[in-house]
Amino acid sequence: MSMPVSPEKQSTLSTVDILSQGMVINVGPQHPSTHGVLRLILTLDGEQILHCEPVIGYLHRGLEKMMERRPYRHNVPFTDRLDYLAALSNNLGICQCIERLGGVEVPERAQYIRVLLMELQRIASHLVFLGTFGTDLGATTMFLYAFRERELVLDLLEECTGARLTYNWIRVGGVPDDLPEGFGEKVLGFVKTFRQRLEEYDQLLTRNRIFRSRTQGIGILPKELALAYGTSGPVIRASGMAYDVRKAAPYEVYDRVEFDVPVHEQGDVWARYLVRMEEMRQSIRIIEQVLRDIPDGPVQTKLPKVFKPPAGIAYSRIESPRGELSFMMVSDGSPNPLRVHIRAPSFVNLSVLPSLLEGTKVADLVAILGSIDVVLGEIDR
Amino acid sequence: MRTRQPATEQYNPLAVFIEGLSTLFYGMLVTWRNFWRPKVTVRYPYQRKPMPPRYRGLFYLKWNEEKQRLNCVGCTLCAQACPTDVISMVKLGKGTNAGVSEFTMDLGRCLFCNLCVEACPFDAIYMGPAYELASERRDAALFRIADLAQGGEEAVRTNIETVQRLMAEEEKARPAAGGHAG
Ligand code: SF4
Ligand code: SF4
Repeated sequence: MSMPVSPEKQSTLSTVDILSQGMVINVGPQHPSTHGVLRLILTLDGEQILHCEPVIGYLHRGLEKMMERRPYRHNVPFTDRLDYLAALSNNLGICQCIERLGGVEVPERAQYIRVLLMELQRIASHLVFLGTFGTDLGATTMFLYAFRERELVLDLLEECTGARLTYNWIRVGGVPDDLPEGFGEKVLGFVKTFRQRLEEYDQLLTRNRIFRSRTQGIGILPKELALAYGTSGPVIRASGMAYDVRKAAPYEVYDRVEFDVPVHEQGDVWARYLVRMEEMRQSIRIIEQVLRDIPDGPVQTKLPKVFKPPAGIAYSRIESPRGELSFMMVSDGSPNPLRVHIRAPSFVNLSVLPSLLEGTKVADLVAILGSIDVVLGEIDR
Repeated sequence: MRTRQPATEQYNPLAVFIEGLSTLFYGMLVTWRNFWRPKVTVRYPYQRKPMPPRYRGLFYLKWNEEKQRLNCVGCTLCAQACPTDVISMVKLGKGTNAGVSEFTMDLGRCLFCNLCVEACPFDAIYMGPAYELASERRDAALFRIADLAQGGEEAVRTNIETVQRLMAEEEKARPAAGGHAG
């Protein structure tokens, strides 16, 4: 194959470049490393990624429209299917929004229970990240260990809520039922084991030389870019911004518990991994404080059968394991919402992917995508 | 952000090799420790874990041994609470002693959200521990009253008999002027 090569280049090169620029390949929609049905159209120059175009929408269900056609409280179970690794966070998000719209008070005990469940959910979700991220980078052992511990969290949540994945256990005005008998002790027992296991993860992965060289300095997201795209959660905290909704705009009883927001400056895959590891430790701290301080009392506010909030707009935001999850609802005084909008953290975080991938090697794609930790159910809604 | 950062430390292959090897053994230590831990695998389907009491599996309609009938009075509150229109029923009789002659749930649409159970004021519908509901046929997701009622076919028959008897008794007790069987 002949190729136009400039005269001066011809004089320095002994061989002519093979025409490989602009080769287009498809990753996904069914590819194990995309964690769902995400399709990436990559333009490659040899090993280098020149351009990446994510294609989303394979899981689109029209959830926002569906919500407009149903009474407020019927919409809560649908949110389980948004971020299916952290269903309780979504439940809390929508319930908080409806509560703001209707001016519903939540009893104190229910607020503590909610925080407890949120943090257990965060641990479960980060463990999925840890396991799948390890597998992506070839550390399959990590997957088995992380899922073994996640199973313990799921068992706890199952005992409390009755479901393993789609919990639907936050209600407008509280939680449907009190914690089961002896739940606190079981959680403390889990916390004790889990602390030990976290050390082991560190030993296995954080100290591992291969893992470190595959993550350090890869996919660096500068602070300005992270801010410009509006990313949140562990992604922005790994880029040096101490932004956490639990601190910035405390909801439930997060202003009464003590915890740190882990921040790392480097903004690379390694930093995002470290932030999530540290967040699990902080979640343990929160859980212990909640179990110490939880008051007695009712767990649910009684609401009328047909719930009609006054006309108006409500906006609520929470810190889901993936970032800032917010709901906006517009009411016209009827039993159904007029408009629902969901700001899914994964959607916003995924939008930085093209600029992160530009110029990197194909082999780093899985590491970078894995470190953003997206859930497609939430992106496509 | 474009490319890999240049390595700041001086690249010494031997040092990296030794460090890599040491972390390898360090990691193997974890594997070794876990090797001696009790197994966590459940050999499903030969072994099964017990379900916690709150587990939300297949529905059942509660049988009332004392009254010899199902608790359900066909008030449709559960059907109204359902976000996806899973429940439909045929009411039998009227008043406080009414019952149902048919109660169908299309579980292919069900979210297992528990809202119907919470809505029922008569203690009639619950979610049980059964969870193997998958099937290759779509109509297998349709559960009729005999599949749902505690006691099955037998209970449904007795339930209908009891409710019909109660209705007839009410009919008799009522003053003649208003008595009009629909
Ligand atoms: S569990 Fe939810 S979706 Fe299923 S029948 Fe009950 S209310 Fe409907
Ligand atoms: S199950 Fe309960 S709510 Fe549903 S029709 Fe029967 S009595 Fe009414």
